[in-house]
Amino acid sequence: MSETVITREEIKEFIKSLQGSYEVFAPVREGGYHRFKQLTGDEAADLDFSNTRLSPKSLLFPQSERMFEFTLDETNEDSHILKETPKEYPPAVVFGIRPCDAKALRLVNVNFDNPEFTDPWWAKRLDSMTFIGLGCNDPCSTCFCTSVGCGPFHEEGLDILLFDLGERYLAKALTDKGEQLLGQGGFQEDADVDTRKRAGELKKEAEHKISSHVPTDKLKDKDLLNLFDAPFWDEVAFACINCGTCTFLCPTCWCFDIQDEVSKNQGDRIRNWDSCMFPLFTLHASGHNPRSEKVQRARQRFMHKLKYYVDKYGNGVACVGCGRCVNYCPVNIDIREVFKLMNEW
Amino acid sequence: MIAYGEKIREIAKKLLAEERVDLIIGFKQGTLPLMTEPVMIKEPEKTDQLYWSSFCSMNLANYLPKRKEKIGIIAKGCDSRNIAVHIVENQIQREQLYIIGVPCTGMVDRRKIQSLVDGKEVREAIESDEELTIKGNGFEQTVKKIDYLQDNCITCMHRNPVIHDELVGDLVEERKDPDPYDDVKEIEELAPNEKWELYSNLIKDCTRCYACRNACPLCYCPTCFVDEADPQWVGKSIDPTDTMTFHILRAFHCAGRCTDCGACQQACPVDINVRLFTRKLNKDALELYGCEAGLSIEERPPLDTYQPDDYDKFIR
Amino acid sequence: MGIEPERLHFSWISSSEAPKFAEVATEVIETVRKAGPVKKLVKTRAEVV
Repeated sequence: MSETVITREEIKEFIKSLQGSYEVFAPVREGGYHRFKQLTGDEAADLDFSNTRLSPKSLLFPQSERMFEFTLDETNEDSHILKETPKEYPPAVVFGIRPCDAKALRLVNVNFDNPEFTDPWWAKRLDSMTFIGLGCNDPCSTCFCTSVGCGPFHEEGLDILLFDLGERYLAKALTDKGEQLLGQGGFQEDADVDTRKRAGELKKEAEHKISSHVPTDKLKDKDLLNLFDAPFWDEVAFACINCGTCTFLCPTCWCFDIQDEVSKNQGDRIRNWDSCMFPLFTLHASGHNPRSEKVQRARQRFMHKLKYYVDKYGNGVACVGCGRCVNYCPVNIDIREVFKLMNEW
Repeated sequence: MIAYGEKIREIAKKLLAEERVDLIIGFKQGTLPLMTEPVMIKEPEKTDQLYWSSFCSMNLANYLPKRKEKIGIIAKGCDSRNIAVHIVENQIQREQLYIIGVPCTGMVDRRKIQSLVDGKEVREAIESDEELTIKGNGFEQTVKKIDYLQDNCITCMHRNPVIHDELVGDLVEERKDPDPYDDVKEIEELAPNEKWELYSNLIKDCTRCYACRNACPLCYCPTCFVDEADPQWVGKSIDPTDTMTFHILRAFHCAGRCTDCGACQQACPVDINVRLFTRKLNKDALELYGCEAGLSIEERPPLDTYQPDDYDKFIR
Repeated sequence: MGIEPERLHFSWISSSEAPKFAEVATEVIETVRKAGPVKKLVKTRAEVV
């Protein structure tokens, strides 16, 4: 796989040139924060960011998405037949995604594309996308990626990883898809030994800068019911207001709800993000709610990420350490503290 | 105001030790520099967790409805008004409460501080009475807190607790600002289409996480109308009409009850100034009914009472 | 909010005031008709991807 040196100017041109044949999504700053957006015209990516406020999961798994549609018009021969909403999957480039968010997509993939089930929309979008990651030179104090099997220059889920060396980037192709895309740039300069060495150092320095560490080693061996019944949940959940901030900002929360909406004869089946924080998430048709109390709902989120997922998939926790929930929880419930409580219990 | 912490811990410890309350609801120091976490303390020896800073912006009255215990609660001016609203609306009994009042000089807006350093990470914050020093990688800056207060604190007319059993410090001077509704007046001047555009733009990033609703002490309905499934009143997608329906109904449900504590705005993860919905209603409640929510535990809110001289100019 | 004032009418009409009822109803219809079809807070199909 190639390792190429690209100047800042060249990469700008390259991204712009890709807009002809790809949909290009990149972080831009709008309002007070960064978000992934499709670049159009002269709009440029803004890479002066720590991370986007919302994770890029919505590029593959939109918050609201029409899945099927139907008509109730009896004069129509397709009346009452559910039809898949036609969708397009043009080749797309996701530029400037952080390694934690790229790993998160692989993690969510176990839910949407596995031997039992494949979610066609997720899978086709994932397939149509090429991911150009940007390593984190300066991780935040709330980043704990290195504790959860990830890192500021983690490569999983990426096709190309960029090392920001100041005036230049080292672009490391990680997959054939990445190699092929880089090839389109016609970049001439292969990274020499010194540059590669510098990139390696950058990675080490960044990992060293990570100041948050969470313990995960004992989670797998914990007794599930014992953790479930642990007395600390009341304390963890007291401040929780059961809003969906943590789940909606989280790059690995994948839960959704399916709703049918009908207006006159036109019907739509729509999939929306849902949140285990909401009472309606588990409300049965009978009226019974197995998670009627907020402590049960808050516990669910942590148990799912740090225990049920661990036990079911055997590939670590369902958290990539991006720190979004830590930063934006309105009442400062900090998952790092919950890691400690659960691991040490 | 930073000396309040010591006093809060002292009062709380005494109340618990003397078994005058079963629990204390207050704040503990956050895991991040510009944050605090609401906390419930039951043992006197744990009262050293209690903490006070200019970032205690959540409204603790939110944690009261339907509680049965005898509760000691820390209350800023706005919190105390929401406690009064709860008492009037039978969410809690006055006798259950020991209100530890905090004369408030305003909460500092963490987002204003963050934009001051252009989104760079604040890694340390040190507070004095008047000033705040923030530090991060490659910067250190000291600012006057009064220049970075939450918007609602800038226009706040009730900084002192309106009901309390004890105060943690001397009462502060109330602002004599004659008109706190300049922003609303600007909107009132707009044509209907311009208003619609303003409000549509305001909520275009809304994710319907309901943090604004859930941070609000007024929103204690067992089932919110947006969570009703049978019948379902409003769609659950991020369709703009559904999202707007949520915001309008949320705001109107707060009419005449809102204390402009700012918790909704502070809680929003995508920086929407949701107070722009409720503030017009607060202004109307004041101008049309002479009502400011939560100033008394005797007075019913304007929309569930009738007076023969109620404003009725809109009826012909 | 931006709902056109022409669409909002409040009136107090006793059951004995039939002429007033007719008059108000006619006027309401006329002003609303003049305002044209409502576009705000109308959802025919969810605007989602």
